[in-house]
Amino acid sequence: MTSLLSQVANGALTGLLYALVAMSFVIIYRSARVFNFAQGEIVVVGAFLVWTLMSAFDLPVWAAVPLALLASVLLGVLIERVILRSLVGEELFAFVMVTIGLLIFIRGVVLVAWGPEVRFFPAVLPMAAVKVGALVFDRAMVIGGALTLVVAAAMSWFFNRTQLGLEMTAVAEDHQTALSLGIPVTRSIAVAWGISGLLSTVAAIIFLNGKGMTFLASDIGFAALPVALLAGLESIGGVVLGGLIVGIALGLASYFLDPIFNGGVAAVFPFVIMVIVLLIRPTGLFGWKTIERI
Amino acid sequence: MLLELTNVEVVYSDVILVLKGVNLSVAEGHIVALLGANGAGKTTTLKAISGLLRSEDGEVTSGSIQFQGVPIHTEEPQNLVRRGLVQVVEGRRILPHMTVEQNLLVGSKVLKDRAERRQVLDKVYGYFPKLVNLRARVSGYLSGGEQQMLVIGRALMARPRLILLDEPSLGLAPMIVTEIFELVESLRRQEGIAFLVVEQNANVALAVADHGYVMENGRIVLYGTGPELRENEDIKEFYLGMSISGHGKSFKDVKHYKRRKRWLG
Repeated sequence: MTSLLSQVANGALTGLLYALVAMSFVIIYRSARVFNFAQGEIVVVGAFLVWTLMSAFDLPVWAAVPLALLASVLLGVLIERVILRSLVGEELFAFVMVTIGLLIFIRGVVLVAWGPEVRFFPAVLPMAAVKVGALVFDRAMVIGGALTLVVAAAMSWFFNRTQLGLEMTAVAEDHQTALSLGIPVTRSIAVAWGISGLLSTVAAIIFLNGKGMTFLASDIGFAALPVALLAGLESIGGVVLGGLIVGIALGLASYFLDPIFNGGVAAVFPFVIMVIVLLIRPTGLFGWKTIERI
Repeated sequence: MLLELTNVEVVYSDVILVLKGVNLSVAEGHIVALLGANGAGKTTTLKAISGLLRSEDGEVTSGSIQFQGVPIHTEEPQNLVRRGLVQVVEGRRILPHMTVEQNLLVGSKVLKDRAERRQVLDKVYGYFPKLVNLRARVSGYLSGGEQQMLVIGRALMARPRLILLDEPSLGLAPMIVTEIFELVESLRRQEGIAFLVVEQNANVALAVADHGYVMENGRIVLYGTGPELRENEDIKEFYLGMSISGHGKSFKDVKHYKRRKRWLG
């Protein structure tokens, strides 16, 4: 029983981490209407930035983390400026191909710059386990889960209540209408890429805190995909719920199904959910449905 | 002059010449109607003024566009809105997943602070009392007339001097169309806002317009005051659907090949 509870609770925390990465997808999609397949690679770059500053340059945490966050904001803005801006007005297909190309490109750059060997990611967050009754949690994941909730609430507030957030939502609705209202569309998109880069690095710190890592950590980008699609690509609050659903389903799957199939089901299960969601409700649980009046 | 176009030429995708030297002007606080058949270049003219042309691979290749005496044809749309020139795009382009109030607030980008936004918002609600009760409603579910009110209201949020209004009557019931043009008239009277209105419905547009232009094939072919144009034989025949005697026309007598549009000759 404890084991089931532990699987479910840890699954929920994993789900919240996925939700954080999914949020970085959603923020870009909401403003630029670009689905960024390279999001996982940006997480890895963020992770290596932290690693480089702390392990190679021996900077203390309080200097290294803000610097890495700043650098990841710049990375997001840079990608938007250099690669995606020239595509404005092109077909969706062009964007899909470009972000896949970006994935391959960044992976190559990471391999050249940092190599394929396993590195130890510094412990930015405290390592001691959190014990609640008989349940044991990774402290970084608990902090991360709480942080995800706070960030989601802040982002929801930002996009629905503040002037800049409303303008960015308007950009998500329709670039030309936003333009006609005097909103600088390209600047809104750059802001979205910046926020997204920031969240990616935060996710990297929570995900890899005190663990070994290679460039393959980028798989988290794909793990977050089902969460983003389940939530619907426009909903920030929905991402949290989507993350919890996927995470808990993952916990249940690893408890009930893994013994039958000799393991591995938990890794596949989120994608099973994703396919089902796409078949039944392509806009996800909270995505923007096409409004048709009769 | 508030707005002045001199010999404006517009080319799309570097090859398609759409405007072939358009001259047009709008005086402070005037309502000017721009009439013409489909594909005459009316919407392109508006987009050339508002700067939206460039997002569609169009370009002003010659001539000049001046707003309040300043050349603007290379200006970004956001700077034009700041100067007081807003386009209401054709087809009631609300932001469908946002609420009515959010839609309006998005339009107030150029205002300084929250207090000013509130103040202008209240004013807009004063002109559109219907929208007050709908303020928390998702705008995609409003009726066509309400959506048209909303996009005009949203343009007002930028405190414009000139609104470019593209086909406000599109797909609306005649009563609503009348209501919208009465509103345009009262905004001009009370706020001194000038309008450049593109319309297919010549009758209702010329009823409120101080001046009107008729476009054909990328050129201005006719110009006059509202009443002059309404009395013009060609306008009556081709846009108001009346026979020369001034009475309603029967489809039995429609023989367009008999009377050519004289301005094409």
